[in-house]
Amino acid sequence: MEFPGVLFPSYFGCGPPRDEGGPAPAAGWGERGKVLEAGPRRRQVLPPFVPLRSHEGESWAPAEAAAVPLLPPNMSCWVPTVTPQDILYHGVLHRKLRTGRSGAALDFAKQLGHFFVDHPEDAFSSLGQLLHKNFHLGDSRLRKPSTRDTTIRMTSLVEKINHMEARRGCPQRQFTSHLRLFSHLCRDWLFEVPLGLLADCVHEELLLQWTSLLFDDSSTGGALAWLPPRDASSHVGCLVYPGGLAMNHLYFQDVVLEEQPRARGLPVQFELNGRIRQVAAARVDGQDFVGVRSDYHCGVWRMPGKTGAAPSPLQVIHTDMPASCLTVSPHLSGELSVCTQSGAVYLWNIETGLQRLRHDPQTLFFRDHSPWRWSDFTAHPRVLSCADRTGILCLDARAPTSCHFDFFKVGEEAKCQQGERVVLPMYLGRAHPCQHLVATQFAMYLLDERLPLVPVLKWAHMMKAPPLFADIVPGESGRSHKALLGTSHTQELLLLQYTGGSQMACQLTGPPQQLHRIASCLPHLPTQLPHRHHLLQQRLSIPAAGLAAVQHEQGQQESLLVFQLSEAGDVFYQTLRHEAAPTPVPDQRDEAEPAPTPNKGDEAAAPPGSPILFGSEEEEQEEEEEQTFYLSNLEVIINDEEEEEEVVATPSAPEEPEPHASPKPAPDVPSAAATLRYRRWLRALLRAWVGSPVSSCRSGPPTLSQRRLFTRKELSEVAPSALQQYQLQLRQAMREQGRIQRWEPAPEPPNPPPSLEPNALSSRLTAAWRGEWGAVGPAGSILQRQQALRERRRRQKRNRAHRSLSASFTSSITYQSELSELSEGGTPRTPPATPREVVVCSPPRTPPPPSTEILLSSQELRSRGIPKERRRTLRDYLSVWAEGPQDPPETPSSITVQRCIPSSQSQLTSSQSQLSSASQPRRKRPRMGF
Amino acid sequence: MSSSVLAERAPVRGITEIAGRLLPGKGSDSPSNERRLNFWKSKELCLNYIQDALLQKQWKRAAEFLTSYIESLEKDFSTEYMGPSEIIWRIGTEILCNHSRSNIKEFNSFIEQMKTLGVKRYLKVSVCLEHAFHLLCNGLIDEAYQNLSLAESWRFGERTVVQDKEMKLIQAYRGLLDYYSWSNQKNILLQYGKSKYYLSVEQEMHGCFRKAAVNLKEIIKIPGVWDLFVKPYVDLLEFYGDHQEAREVLTDYAYNSKFPANPNAHVYLYQFLKRHGAPKKSLISALKILHDIVPSHELMIDFNTMLQKSSKSLNIFALFLYVNLEYYEIVLHSEKHLDWIKQEWNSRKDWWPAFHFSRYSAKRNWQENESLSYEKALVAGVLLGKDCKYFKYVSHQGCKAQVKKFRTLKKFVTKHSAACLSISGL
Repeated sequence: MEFPGVLFPSYFGCGPPRDEGGPAPAAGWGERGKVLEAGPRRRQVLPPFVPLRSHEGESWAPAEAAAVPLLPPNMSCWVPTVTPQDILYHGVLHRKLRTGRSGAALDFAKQLGHFFVDHPEDAFSSLGQLLHKNFHLGDSRLRKPSTRDTTIRMTSLVEKINHMEARRGCPQRQFTSHLRLFSHLCRDWLFEVPLGLLADCVHEELLLQWTSLLFDDSSTGGALAWLPPRDASSHVGCLVYPGGLAMNHLYFQDVVLEEQPRARGLPVQFELNGRIRQVAAARVDGQDFVGVRSDYHCGVWRMPGKTGAAPSPLQVIHTDMPASCLTVSPHLSGELSVCTQSGAVYLWNIETGLQRLRHDPQTLFFRDHSPWRWSDFTAHPRVLSCADRTGILCLDARAPTSCHFDFFKVGEEAKCQQGERVVLPMYLGRAHPCQHLVATQFAMYLLDERLPLVPVLKWAHMMKAPPLFADIVPGESGRSHKALLGTSHTQELLLLQYTGGSQMACQLTGPPQQLHRIASCLPHLPTQLPHRHHLLQQRLSIPAAGLAAVQHEQGQQESLLVFQLSEAGDVFYQTLRHEAAPTPVPDQRDEAEPAPTPNKGDEAAAPPGSPILFGSEEEEQEEEEEQTFYLSNLEVIINDEEEEEEVVATPSAPEEPEPHASPKPAPDVPSAAATLRYRRWLRALLRAWVGSPVSSCRSGPPTLSQRRLFTRKELSEVAPSALQQYQLQLRQAMREQGRIQRWEPAPEPPNPPPSLEPNALSSRLTAAWRGEWGAVGPAGSILQRQQALRERRRRQKRNRAHRSLSASFTSSITYQSELSELSEGGTPRTPPATPREVVVCSPPRTPPPPSTEILLSSQELRSRGIPKERRRTLRDYLSVWAEGPQDPPETPSSITVQRCIPSSQSQLTSSQSQLSSASQPRRKRPRMGF
Repeated sequence: MSSSVLAERAPVRGITEIAGRLLPGKGSDSPSNERRLNFWKSKELCLNYIQDALLQKQWKRAAEFLTSYIESLEKDFSTEYMGPSEIIWRIGTEILCNHSRSNIKEFNSFIEQMKTLGVKRYLKVSVCLEHAFHLLCNGLIDEAYQNLSLAESWRFGERTVVQDKEMKLIQAYRGLLDYYSWSNQKNILLQYGKSKYYLSVEQEMHGCFRKAAVNLKEIIKIPGVWDLFVKPYVDLLEFYGDHQEAREVLTDYAYNSKFPANPNAHVYLYQFLKRHGAPKKSLISALKILHDIVPSHELMIDFNTMLQKSSKSLNIFALFLYVNLEYYEIVLHSEKHLDWIKQEWNSRKDWWPAFHFSRYSAKRNWQENESLSYEKALVAGVLLGKDCKYFKYVSHQGCKAQVKKFRTLKKFVTKHSAACLSISGL
């Protein structure tokens, strides 16, 4: 094995890392690093120099517009991941806390509340059973005097709680003494588990969840492994990945490497006893060994020699502390290394059992609280590396206490930054027997065992999250090795290339390249209804759980295949094609004519590449428009689940604008094969979703009871036939899983006959309501003509609305006036179907109290003996006063509405402004009487 | 920015405009504090876009955004470690290095502007150094030399420890370039011999030597990996006959505990000692450490030969290196050697059979390299006896293929099976 004759120059120092003030935003760019003479000098000619970071590298271009699903979705995994919104407190208090101390405010009370609601049996069962006679839960009053003394009416308590909830954030809220009394009274005895104890447990769990949300290292190493084909001629490899409800099933899936990789046959499946955290694999003497780590168990499988036979499980070990690492030896068959969070490192041989090499709860070089440990193999079969967050130590398994050396230190030795920690070490034996990759949250280092402590290569990777997964694709015969780094929560994927290690010193070649995230395929999936879109978005942005890469050749074309696993158990892939183009690396999108890849089918004919972003004002506006009226697409495709596969997907709506996502250039259209896979995957997912228990408990938008909005009396006022019709319509819509569209030319509720009713004043008032102030004339033919005109306008409007839903939003104000006009006219509408629409509808207003009306009439005033000149002032005064109680509708129903849809702020204000403008003519009303 | 690649197309005029497009709900009449916040936000956003574009190799798009990002210089009050000027320099360099239509001229003009930009932060030194690297990679040695001299003479702004180190590096690289011109002149002299130019060339050469020696000597004192500078420095010293100093430098480079355990340091020392005919003892001691750090180094063959000749001790490599039956005949009949082998074998017997002598590797070795498989089979037979899988497979195949040496091998191992078994401890 050769060692480079000359290394790149670098300083070497000891001690703690320098304080550089945190990660620098663009630290990885623009540097050459150092230079070195490239080879032996010839006479007169000065040596050509090579940089540490070279810009010439192999060019690999993505073949698809986004990641493509390889396997059908993991059907049973519907457990949503915890998000910060779930456990963080939102509200005034949160803001206060944030400005004060740094640190998250955990919404502890909410979680406790969830527990009480979801598990009432566990929380209150015994006393609940004992006391249930003493609680009354109905609406009705307690009649019996005997029970009245011993029973508490809960409805009023619940109402009070609701009131308090509704006024959350209101500065003037008061705690009702009633509630306070009740809680004082029963705090000590009501709960099954003592409240303090329970609260401690919940709080502890919340803290755990929060820390794992911030950084979860349990999946370090990744749970996806690729077992390459047995011999070079066959193109069938095997993908090992977890799946199932709790990611506790281990799958071995044969995958055929072709133009597009495809699964062959059904996967071999093993059910395990816990969630699979890591899958590691190595090939020794032509045999593949697969190590699987869950929290308290580690197992090892051996792949069969023959194709078609099932992998055989060899051994399982149980650990008292959660294991944090499992690696398979690439040198000796049936040897693995295991680390536990107690700080122990074991060499695990299937024949001889476990050998503890080291046990130290303390970290290696300085104190760090993390119990995470890692261990890997090195060039020598008996030397293992042991890592924790502070660095790496190599020790000899034959004499682990005496024979060891420091391999990597977080400190001045490797020019680390303050706060930098080891996140993922990996042995790169497949690329070079002595090389190791060490990733921290800021940089990636390449280390050579023969030169410990001094990284032979360092590059600030600038990823948004620490890389937890890595894989290496060794380059043969002098070509560059490809290292892939992947992060979990942000799903980032970075491809780096480097050469050297034997004759030449290591060099980073070519610019780093970002690969597609799993979530990138969202815009290429067929357009969905909002709630399904939301589901998809959630599903696709679940953190990544592993990556694997393989290079293979299709005829003359070299491809790099990258598999990604999400925490939901979905496996995606993307292909990169090697472009034999000479350096410099051409622009991928910016070039005038991006070379259309031959396999792209018909879609490639579509305008390729990107209209230059921010090219012109119009374009930008157009884009914006599309985003705001994004719902407009919905009407076109209602239920594409049943559509034929041959149909090419309609270009979908753009992703919802994220504040920090870059505005990507219009994505290339995925190839026909990819489109097909997208559709299949989506169909399978949706079908599984419909059948899943999750969909039944929280399918789509929340519903509101009609009774909360309208009284029984109001509801019964609707003509019974119309009500039945609506019910029928509703049922049908539910059966078809469609929606009710109000603007459909549905049977209208019978318009109030424009009768020349006895009260002429009221009809004129109605006209005044509509703002047709000037047109008020003598009742009769004019009114009728106006009615007809209005009818026509409304029909036009409805047609417009039918064309796009968006229009209905922009015209919500007109709709509002329509509605209010109807309700004013005394014709109650049916309750709207969705809460979105509920918002638009203002709470039913009762007509102004007649007493004011009477008061305001001049006859009345006169009869009361008020002088003529003061009557006017009084009338004005009274009219203002009369408006007062009507303005803020303080009914609980309106509050519920507001809480349900916080986004409706603007709509609410618009409806309020409508209210105030509507009240304008009312004030003038008395004058009309003259 | 005059650089035409960067200014090629800038539809977005500035950061604030980007903010106007991307940040929702932001009034024009917001108070100044909010505006500052917005500016900061949009700066971050803009940087994010540039990063994304760079990572997707969209150099043109990145360049467009960078032209907007330059606005951030106007309000550079940040106290962060990396200010906007450095960010612009780094990103601009990256774009210009990769952009399909950039050339060295444009690159130079961009860098020249960058040099005046980061005066306050003493950025100039880093920019100059990187610029020099770029020029060197493009073969423009003279320009690089000028740049290095310029950077060296720069005396403005606050210096930090990092920049002190960079300054030393600049001097060292200048020394290296001086050394190259020195060796050029040396070649000229050697080629043309004594001519009328001799004196002037020699003088110039001497000047180069002095400049190079001073700068190179300086950096070699500081702990680090200085292979690039140690070699020329030793070459200079050797040329002028200062062997003592050269030896001291190399010894210090190899044995100073403040320096990292660099295998090359020992290689250089060994080569130097060998050139100057040092005694075998010092040669062996120089290689001894190399053997500890890199047992797989190619110089280990020399090491073993020397050990063999001095026959002071045995080395496990020798077992593999000298595979002939005569050698093993001696080994197996000497009590001392047998004891030594047993001792060495003890620490290896739990993994060598699986690692070196498995049936799988026997198959592969036989297919790929027959002579290797012969050698390994011999060692396997000696160490593990005739029932070893490797030996059995290879000798069987060899006998089947009618190769004579395999037959003798089989006979040899069978003959000495008692001694072999005593080694394997079975």
